[in-house]
Amino acid sequence: MANLLELVNIHKSFRMGTEDVQVLAGASLSIAPGEFVALIGASGSGKSTFLHIAGALEKPDSGSVLYQGRDILRSGFFETYRFRNQHVGFVFQLYHLLPELNVLENTLLPAMVAAPWYKALIRARPGRKLAISMLTDMGLGGRLKHRPSELSGGERQRVAIARALINHPSLLLADEPTGNLDPRTGQGIIDLLVRRRRDQKCGLLLVTHDADIARLADRVVRLEDGKITPA
Amino acid sequence: MYKLFLCFRYLTRKGIVIFPILAVWLCVSMLIVVYSIMTGFVDRVRDAGKELMGDVVIQSTLAAGFPHYAGLQKSLAKLPCVAASAPVISTYGIMNLPEYQTSAEVQVLGIKPAMQSKVSSFGKSLFWQYRAPLDAARDLRDAAFPLTGKELADYARTKLKTALVIYRRHEKEIRKLKPIKGHGWIADIQRHWQVIAREDYRQAEYHLNRVFRDLRFVEKLAPNAVIENDAALRKTLVPPAPTFTPPAKALRDYPDKQAEPKYGCVVGIDIGLYTRDRFGHYHRPPGVRFSPVILTVVPITLSSTLATPQSHRFQIVDDSRTKVFTVDRHTVYAPFHVVQKMAFMQQQDLLSGGVRPARCSEIEIRVHHDQRQSAVNAARDQIAAAVRRYALKHPGMESTGLTVMTWLQEQSQFIAAVDKERDLITFLLGMMSLVVIVVIFLIFFMIVRDKTRDIGIIKSIGGSEIGVGSIFVLYGFLISSAGSLLGVVTGTLFVIHDNWIHDDILWRIFGITIWNRRVYIFSRIPNQINPQTVVTIAALAVVAGLLGAIIPALIAASRDPVHALRYE
Repeated sequence: MANLLELVNIHKSFRMGTEDVQVLAGASLSIAPGEFVALIGASGSGKSTFLHIAGALEKPDSGSVLYQGRDILRSGFFETYRFRNQHVGFVFQLYHLLPELNVLENTLLPAMVAAPWYKALIRARPGRKLAISMLTDMGLGGRLKHRPSELSGGERQRVAIARALINHPSLLLADEPTGNLDPRTGQGIIDLLVRRRRDQKCGLLLVTHDADIARLADRVVRLEDGKITPA
Repeated sequence: MYKLFLCFRYLTRKGIVIFPILAVWLCVSMLIVVYSIMTGFVDRVRDAGKELMGDVVIQSTLAAGFPHYAGLQKSLAKLPCVAASAPVISTYGIMNLPEYQTSAEVQVLGIKPAMQSKVSSFGKSLFWQYRAPLDAARDLRDAAFPLTGKELADYARTKLKTALVIYRRHEKEIRKLKPIKGHGWIADIQRHWQVIAREDYRQAEYHLNRVFRDLRFVEKLAPNAVIENDAALRKTLVPPAPTFTPPAKALRDYPDKQAEPKYGCVVGIDIGLYTRDRFGHYHRPPGVRFSPVILTVVPITLSSTLATPQSHRFQIVDDSRTKVFTVDRHTVYAPFHVVQKMAFMQQQDLLSGGVRPARCSEIEIRVHHDQRQSAVNAARDQIAAAVRRYALKHPGMESTGLTVMTWLQEQSQFIAAVDKERDLITFLLGMMSLVVIVVIFLIFFMIVRDKTRDIGIIKSIGGSEIGVGSIFVLYGFLISSAGSLLGVVTGTLFVIHDNWIHDDILWRIFGITIWNRRVYIFSRIPNQINPQTVVTIAALAVVAGLLGAIIPALIAASRDPVHALRYE
């Protein structure tokens, strides 16, 4: 089966004061469609950087990121925006919800970015029905009008997951989604992620420190010395 | 679409936006108020200047004037552009009021009142022969027409009774007033109330006098004459042409004040005989009208030497208000032929035989299509050519240095000064308005800093650089538009109601007088709004808002999403 996403020989270094620190030194990884890959590694090993590169949020110094065989690093600006908007969904450790928007509006935001302006004239909020059903399914049906500041950590993360899934991406990129939550809530979030991944048949690249969570994955890889190795 | 949505959310859910909106609002409002009032002031000065004299003026550089003016007038009357012309004698002298034991330096203008009224607003500037009857017609316009003269007089009497009741009520209140002793803000407020009560009493008195004057006008109407409507009443009350001849009633009632022979004169309203209240109303003491006046002028000979001063006794028949202070302060109008004789400018028999033709100081001309300055300029050129041709045929005229100018050229120094003053104030306020751009820039800069993480989130879900930048540009546009809209509404309302705000709020409640009508020429603060100016100011404010937003928007657009997401 053809790979959904392929990161080939990724190099990335950061300048720290007067020195360059090599974070990724030829890291490569392939994710098949619908595959759940857990990425583990020590703190500061470059997991988040690798994830950002996979989602075209950051550019590597060298290497290729192939999405369905097409190098997204060499595609144009608009292609990159479309890739972030339509094909991947990010779930961050710190939720990253917009404080001025309520639960429903936060969830709908990627759909609004995707919708051309003329569609907005016809439909008030594209994807509204889907967002409501998704949020209700996640137990947030009564919290649609609440602002992020009025929600618990677990609820915020569920909103972030709903936002990541609203445009039916083929790949979810989750950066320690339970890192800020207590174990029980964290387990609930992971269960939700795994279930929604299965339902929507999308791939999942999950960065975690937790071996129990990593065990749920189809495949576990480790980032060590800037390279990806099977765990 | 999400850009507009986020803009509205930031607008409605971030309290800080109130400050740039407030800044734009106040600046737009301030510019509209200042520019409109100053423009209104300039326009009034310009209109007053235009109405003061004819559209085109032929003057001589010699104080002794120029001859053959009647022939020149006849020649000019043949030009298609000339509607009317009037000769004027201009000289300086002393006005002496024996009854008041007072004298003043004045400019004496010898004019033909009916002729002069066709070229300038002289007729309309007169109080007793134009303003008062016109006001009487206006005051009585709520009467149910048609009416007979008798019915109208009865109606005026009813109004007089009502005015008298109001006057007595205020008089009673005034009598009750006692001096307020003590200090502190309560005593200050009580004193201010007393000032208001006295002003109200003065206004009631003014109104009573006015109603009484209206009655005197309508009593002159034939009892059986039927007056169809307000326009007919106005036409009946306002004399067709002004005159210097004192009315027969005055000659009968004031035999001791009569001038011999019976020549009247008109004095400028600000010459010092009348008082003016804070509302700009002139109070005319009963004795001033028909008072004797002795005018003394010093004739100037053709060789520019002074001749023996000439005095003549006149009787004040009216007062004139041109709204040009220097004119109203220093001018006395008298019959043309009398002043001509006093100034030695009449036709004279020479010892050597022959005659020296009569002279005048200037000829004022009203042209057709005088609303268009280009038409006035074209008429001036035609008139100048006609004057040159006429002067060539009459050798005595060439040496008098005739000049032909439009009213705008004649008054250019004064009008240009007021124009510049307005532009300077607007420029200074415009410079102050640059603060708006800085305020918007600073607030947007803070907002962009505050929204750094949001920028990262928007980019992570597929928002483009242009999209993120346009959120903040749109934000600036909406803020400045909201501020501009509020500024336009409040500024326009303020200008339209400026007299009410000034009189009924600032003065009545706080005792503040900014527009002192005792000092200013115009009684009312200009309250005209020019839509074009308002739109321009509002558009400039929106552009200023966009300028203030553009740099923060560029910063936001160029922000790296990963750094933005990690921003604490």
